[in-house]
Amino acid sequence: MAKLSITRRLIVSVILAQVVLTLAVVALATYLTEKQLRDSFDAALHGRVMSVAALVRYSEDNSPKLFFDSSLVPPPLDRKHPDLYQIMGADGEVIGKSPNWDPDFRTPSSDRRIYWTVPYHEDQYRVVHLNNIPVLDREGPETATPPTLTVIYAASTEEIRERVWAAAIVTCLGSLALLAISTAISVWTVRRGLSPLAALASSAGRVSVNNWKLDAPPQARETQELVPLTDAMDGMLATLQHAFTSQREFLANAAHELKTPIAVLKSTLQLLLQQPRSAEEYRAHLEGALDDLARLEALTHSMLRLARAEQSQTTKRVTDLPLVDLANSCEQSAERLKPVSDSRSVRIDIRPNGPAKIHADPEDLELVWNNLFENAVRYSPAGSAVLVSISRSDHRARVDVEDRGPGIAEIDLQNIFNRFHRADASRSRDTGGYGLGLAIVKAMVEAYGGTISAESSVGRGTKMSVSLPINT
Amino acid sequence: MRVLVIEDERKLAANIARSMRESAGYAVDCAYDGEEGLYMAESNPYDLAIVDLMLPRMNGQTVLGRMRQAGNATPVLILTARDDRESIVALLNSGADDYLTKPFDLGELIARAKALIRRGKGHSTAILKMRDVEIDTAGRRVSRRGKPVTLSAMEYRVLEYLAHRKGAIVSKTELLEHLYDFNWERFSNVIEVYVSGLRRKLDDKNGELIQTSRGQGYVLRD
Repeated sequence: MAKLSITRRLIVSVILAQVVLTLAVVALATYLTEKQLRDSFDAALHGRVMSVAALVRYSEDNSPKLFFDSSLVPPPLDRKHPDLYQIMGADGEVIGKSPNWDPDFRTPSSDRRIYWTVPYHEDQYRVVHLNNIPVLDREGPETATPPTLTVIYAASTEEIRERVWAAAIVTCLGSLALLAISTAISVWTVRRGLSPLAALASSAGRVSVNNWKLDAPPQARETQELVPLTDAMDGMLATLQHAFTSQREFLANAAHELKTPIAVLKSTLQLLLQQPRSAEEYRAHLEGALDDLARLEALTHSMLRLARAEQSQTTKRVTDLPLVDLANSCEQSAERLKPVSDSRSVRIDIRPNGPAKIHADPEDLELVWNNLFENAVRYSPAGSAVLVSISRSDHRARVDVEDRGPGIAEIDLQNIFNRFHRADASRSRDTGGYGLGLAIVKAMVEAYGGTISAESSVGRGTKMSVSLPINT
Repeated sequence: MRVLVIEDERKLAANIARSMRESAGYAVDCAYDGEEGLYMAESNPYDLAIVDLMLPRMNGQTVLGRMRQAGNATPVLILTARDDRESIVALLNSGADDYLTKPFDLGELIARAKALIRRGKGHSTAILKMRDVEIDTAGRRVSRRGKPVTLSAMEYRVLEYLAHRKGAIVSKTELLEHLYDFNWERFSNVIEVYVSGLRRKLDDKNGELIQTSRGQGYVLRD
């Protein structure tokens, strides 16, 4: 299928409009020319009538008889065709006529019109029929009623038609020339007008994963119609670049994070094979290797969980999910963590301030609390308590998790939600973390349209605040 | 030989240390963050430092930079999980002698460590020769006049260190510093025991090969 071309369509419509306009101009010009020529022809015809009427005189013998002096007849209106005329007296008697007068030429005098156009000898003749023309010669006998004349005068209109035709041809040719010029100009203008689009397309073609910047040419940036397009493209590219780089970063980080536990596992096994060892030693090393494997497994599980949480941000339809009571959900998580918290002698103290329920997948919520509580428990000194307070305002539920741990330095606080970030690598590796927990929590909370923030002061503890919208 | 391992993944550090002790007979100290590692590198004479790049407190690149700035010429082998060309080029340019990407092979790590130590002492081959004694540092074998000599692990380590520094006077303290890590107790007289054992096994009863420089230490004469 042929592509629609804006250039072609614009040019074709401009040309069509111009052709119509040209035709209208030619038609109007022809009509006006013809009308003007005909009017002046009619006036000339009228003048001829008066002229021939003036040639009717009384005879010298003072009788009331009128005669026509044909020696002074003016030249014919049409140079090629002699005019026809007949002059009649009041009683209808013929006073004079042209030599070529055709008796058939009489026109119906009943008609009120005085001008006609009639076909004659394969030609069009304009005829004028005037009654009651007074005789100009005042030297005649005294009569009660001055005599009047009736004149029929006809002339060929061929010359008019020729002149109209000539005028039409000249107008036509002139208009065609103008049409050609204006077509050329509009083609050039349309092409030139659309050139920023082509330039924009070529710069858009240069965008790649290595070059995310749309280097739009200034002519495209300055074209009003293209501004929405370039703005939209800039926005789209920025979003894409962000998504792309964060995915690439994730992949690089994931690969990086996987390499260390693999290195541990590999070195453990190689060390074991380095020399013959006792059965107990083999056993101890293999158990160590299994521990390493378990950590690798946990890490891959976390990565998948994070990828899923980030993906679900776009797919979740919250109101389809069951209503979950936040206090219940927190208590279940605390119960699950009991072995860990007990072993560290840390209490998880849940204080709900009134009921707060939200639509959510219970497993998602549990994942959020598990991560937050586990972090809090992990960094809490023995014998202290992790305080979990639940409150709600009009449209939001809020869960604060506070610990009495060592706190997080200001510089690290900005990064704790970043994937693979660790405030202190050696410490959290001791405790088995891989810096993914808080990133998962953040992605999950954001999937529900919520927010998470952290406050901390070094030496006094950390407070994580989750705020979730209550959808009804 | 004494090696410093700076690696925050404790288990990996422990594996490297144990493997080096077992298969190369090196004394190994471990540090678990950059600051600690730099402090140890500055306060002890090491024959090699194995430094992880991603370290808490101070990253490996900074540790390396500070060491080189302070004029510390200890060979440094970098461990990295990154294998992009630019960061490796940058590392080598800033004074690293070699690198390995994680996950690496322990055998390869030890072979590279041995090569770095050897070159650090000015030798390009794994076999050191003086008079009619031959020391194969790769296989840890010693022979005199073509006949193999069986040495204890510590005797070998004393001989290897002296051979690397042949012609120079090596004090007992230097020997102790290079042959023991922090986990070992130091008794200066053990060195005398090892040297006399070496002289006996190498048929060097008059002390012509391993000469005693009274009050200063020992010299291995070519």
